[in-house]
Amino acid sequence: MAQIELTLFPGCMIPLRYPQIEKAARFFFNAAGLGIIDAEGFTCCPEPWNVKGAGLAEWLTIATWNLCVAEKHSRDVVTLCNGCYSTLKEAQRIISINGEATKEIISRIKSTGLPEPGTLRILHVAHLISELWEPLISKSIKKRPEGANIAIHHGCHLLRPAEIMEFDNPFEPSILEQIIDSIGATPTLYRGYTDCCGRALLDREKSLDIASAKLESIKEAGADCIVVLCPACFEQLDLGQIEIKRKTKKVFDLPVFHFCQLLALACGAVPNDLGFEYHRVPAGDFLSRFFS
Amino acid sequence: MAKVNPDFAKQLTGIESAGNLNYCYQCSACVQECPAALRFSEFNPREIVLSTLLGVADELTGKNSVIWQCATCYNCYERCPQGTRPIEVVTALKNLAFQLGNAPEQISALRESVITSGTITALSDSMKKRREQLGVPKISLPEEGSLKKILGG
Ligand code: SF4
Ligand code: SF4
Repeated sequence: MAQIELTLFPGCMIPLRYPQIEKAARFFFNAAGLGIIDAEGFTCCPEPWNVKGAGLAEWLTIATWNLCVAEKHSRDVVTLCNGCYSTLKEAQRIISINGEATKEIISRIKSTGLPEPGTLRILHVAHLISELWEPLISKSIKKRPEGANIAIHHGCHLLRPAEIMEFDNPFEPSILEQIIDSIGATPTLYRGYTDCCGRALLDREKSLDIASAKLESIKEAGADCIVVLCPACFEQLDLGQIEIKRKTKKVFDLPVFHFCQLLALACGAVPNDLGFEYHRVPAGDFLSRFFS
Repeated sequence: MAKVNPDFAKQLTGIESAGNLNYCYQCSACVQECPAALRFSEFNPREIVLSTLLGVADELTGKNSVIWQCATCYNCYERCPQGTRPIEVVTALKNLAFQLGNAPEQISALRESVITSGTITALSDSMKKRREQLGVPKISLPEEGSLKKILGG
C-alpha cells in the first residue's frame, strides 16, 4: 500500500485537452509508490489570467471552493499545472492575510456543507518530485535517457512570485536541473531561460513571437526536447510550433513533454501506452533514441 | 484631453496589493524584462502605474485596451524594488474594464464558461473516447450551475 497519499487536483486543461499527460502522471505516481485520491467537486481552479482578469472576487471565491473541497479529504494536494498551482497557492495566501476579503466567501461556502479551508499543503508535482526524490522516487527509475539534452521550461507561475510559489530561485532555478542530471540526461541551459512562453498575451501573433524566440534559443543550445510543467506552456510550445511553421516557415522540431511524461518513461512506462501520438510535434525520434 | 480623476486608484480592488502603487518611484525596473513592453510600444508597466496613480487611466479600462497583452509573467513583481507589483495593478484595471463592459469577447466567454459549467472547455465526445482509449479514470465533472450558488447573484 502506498504510504504517502495525496489528493490530485487535475484542473481542466489536462483532463479535457491533454489526457495523455494525466495518463503519464498516474503511471508515475503509481510507479513511485505515491497514492492518489480522486476527489469529486473540483472545478476549474480558476485559471489566473482571464477569469482572474474578469473579477478577482469571483476568482477567489471559486479558488476557495476548491480549497474547501480538498479539505474534505484531509490530504495534501498535488497539481500538474502552473495555473492551478498559482491560483490555489495565492488564494491560500490571501485567505491567510486578508480575512476581510475572505470571511464572507468562506461562510457562503461553508453553508453548502464543506469544511473551512485549512492548512493543507498545495504542491506542484515539481515540488513533490524534488522533495521525495531521494527517499522514494529515485528508487523507481528504471530507464535512464543517457546523453539526452533536455531543456526545461519552468513556466512563470511555478517560479514567480517566489515568495508565494516557494519553489526555486525565480530567475536562476536549479532544482529540476538536478533531477534531469540524476536520470542521466543533461539539462540544457539557454538564453532567456526563465522567460515566459507568451501564452497569455491576447494578440496571437505577438504571443507566438515570444514562443518563437524561446524555441529558437532552445534549438540553438542543442536541446533534443523540451520539458514543461504546465499544460498551457505545453500547448503554447507544442501546438505553437505548428502555428509558427505555418506563419513563418520556421521549423524547430522540438518534441515537448510534461515532466511527468518524462518521469513515467524513466519509471519504465511503454512509450506506446502513453498517447504521444496526440502531441503535435512528433516525439517518435526522441523516444526511440532514448527510451527504446 | 484626458480627464483627471483623483480618486481613480480608490476603485482598484484591494483583494491583491494593487494599492501598493503609491510607493512607485518610477525607476523602470519593471519595464526591462516585461515581454509585453518589448512587443507593444503602448504597454509600459511603469506608465500604467503612473496613469493609474494620477487618475488618467480611462484609456486603459476602455475598449481594446493594451492591458490585455500582459503575459502575467510576474517579472515586474520580482524586479520592482518598491513592492509595487505592477501586474496586480494591471489585474485590478482589467477587473474595472470588465465591469465597464470593455473586456475582450474571449475573456468574457471564458469566464462565463467557468461560472456556468465549472470548466474552461466542455468534454467533447472525441475527448471522452480518447480518455477511454488511454485508460484514465472516468472524469468527474462539476455539477452544472454548482458554482452559481456560492457566487451569489
Ligand atoms: S512599479 Fe516598481 S519597478 Fe516599476 S517604476 Fe515603479 S518602483 Fe520602479
Ligand atoms: S506581468 Fe505583465 S506587466 Fe509584469 S512584466 Fe509580465 S507582462 Fe509585463
